[in-house]
Amino acid sequence: MTPLDIRVRADNRLDDMPMMPVACRHCGASVQVRKSSWNQTSVQWTAEALACCEERCAAAQLVPCGGRGLFLGCSSLTESIVDAVRAGTLPLVNDGAASPS
Amino acid sequence: MTLQSNTDGVREIEAAAAPSRFARGWHCLGLTKEFGDGKPHAVHAFGRKLVVFRSGDGEINALDGYCRHMGGDLTEGEVKGDEIACPFHDWRWGGDGRCKRVPYSKRTPRLARTTKWTTLEQDGMLFVWNDPQGNPPPTEVTIPRIEGATSDEWTDWHWYTTIVNTNCREIIDNVVDMAHFFYIHGSLPTHFKNIFEGQVATQYMNSAGRPDLGGTEGARMLGTTSVASYYGPSFMIDDLTYHYEDADHQTVLINCHYPIDANSFVLQYGIIVKKSDFLPDELAMQTAISLGDFVKLGFEQDVAIWKNKTRIDNPLLVEEDGPVYQLRRWYQQFYVDVADVQPDMVDRFEFELDTTRPYEAWMKEVEANIAAQPASAGSV
Repeated sequence: MTPLDIRVRADNRLDDMPMMPVACRHCGASVQVRKSSWNQTSVQWTAEALACCEERCAAAQLVPCGGRGLFLGCSSLTESIVDAVRAGTLPLVNDGAASPS
Repeated sequence: MTLQSNTDGVREIEAAAAPSRFARGWHCLGLTKEFGDGKPHAVHAFGRKLVVFRSGDGEINALDGYCRHMGGDLTEGEVKGDEIACPFHDWRWGGDGRCKRVPYSKRTPRLARTTKWTTLEQDGMLFVWNDPQGNPPPTEVTIPRIEGATSDEWTDWHWYTTIVNTNCREIIDNVVDMAHFFYIHGSLPTHFKNIFEGQVATQYMNSAGRPDLGGTEGARMLGTTSVASYYGPSFMIDDLTYHYEDADHQTVLINCHYPIDANSFVLQYGIIVKKSDFLPDELAMQTAISLGDFVKLGFEQDVAIWKNKTRIDNPLLVEEDGPVYQLRRWYQQFYVDVADVQPDMVDRFEFELDTTRPYEAWMKEVEANIAAQPASAGSV
C-alpha cells in the first residue's frame, strides 16, 4: 500500500485574496480570515486559538462526549471580523457590495 | 480582478491516480438484519473480500474471506458454533481472527491469525473499523447514536444499496458543492455553511422548493432545513426537515458508503421519519418510502454525472463555490498514518457562503421556467 502523500493543492481563489489574521477583541485568539463579501466568510482556526475561545469552551461543556453538539461559531469573533472590515484592515473580495445595516 | 493568475496559459486538469489505500474509519456495511441470520455473507470492501457472519455467541464478525490454509472461500462455508468453517477442509476460524480448530489434525496452528475487522452493531446498522495500520478504533471517533432509530415514535429504516463505479472522493465533494444542488438536484439553496473540525465535516443548508418542477416531490415542498455531518470518512447523518404547507416532516437521512476498490464503492442511504398527528404509523412509513425514492432520484442524478466526469485535483473555483480544497485537506487525514495527520487536516475551519448572487440568478431561471410552462402545456 502506498500512502497518499500528495498534498492537497492550494485554493485558486487565494491568489486573488489570501487569508489574513484577525484577533478576537474578547479573548485575543488569532485566526486566519477571508471575506468574499459582507455575507461570506472563511475562518481558519488553530488548536491554540480554539482553546482560547470562551464561547467555544462554554459550548463544549454542554455537550456530552461523543454527542452531536455542533458549535456554530463565536459571536465575539464575528463582531471582531466586522470591525476589521470597517477599519479597513480586512478587505472584501467582492468590494462594492452594500455594508450591513 | 482576474479569476486566474496564468491568463495566457491553458489551464490543464490535473489528477493523480485514486489512492490504493483505503480510509481509516468506521464504515457502515448496511442493516444488521441483512447479516445476522447465522449464514456467511460476502462483502467486497477495501480491495478484498470479507466474510461477515453472526456466530453462536451472538456477535457479528468480519474476517478476510479466504482461508489461510489453502485459500478456500469462507463466504461459501458454514457457521459452526462460534466459528466459520471453510468449505474446503473444514478449518475453523473465530471472530478474533484466530484458527480455532482443524478437525482432522491433532494440533491446531493456534498462533495463526487472519485479518479481522472490529465490528459495531448500532441503531440497526452494522459497522466495521478499517485501519491500514491495524490499530483498534479509538473511542473518540465512534459513530454517534441516532435517537429516532430505536424509538417507536419514528419509522424503521427504509434502506437503499447501489454500486457506483468511481472513486469515493466524488461523493465527499458534495459536502461543499452548493451549486450542484440547484443544477443536479432541483433544489434552491438559500443558506449554506460548512464546518470541518477533527473527524467531523458538516454542511448546513436551507433550501426553498422549486415551483417550476411540476409533479415532483420538490414542487410540493416549501423547502428543507438540513444539518448533515460526516463522522469520519464515510458515514453521514443528515437531520433533514421537509417543510410542507400543512406540516413539517422530520427525518434522519443516512448517506454512507464503503469502498470496493480504488474505483468503485457501495453507496447506501437510509431514511427514518418521525411519526406525528399528521403522520401516524402507516402514513409515516409511506412518507419514508416516498421521500426515500426522492432521495434515490437525487443520488441517481449524481451517479449520472460521476459516470462521465473526470477526476480533478485542481478544480477552478469562483467565489460562490464552496471550500472544496479545504474539505479535501480534511478528508486527507483518513488516508495517512495517524502519526502523519497534520494540524491543518483537523483544525477547525468555518465557511459561510453568500447565496445572494446565486439565488438571484436561479430565481430568474425558475421564473423563466414557470413562464414557459403554459405555452408548452398548450402545445402538447
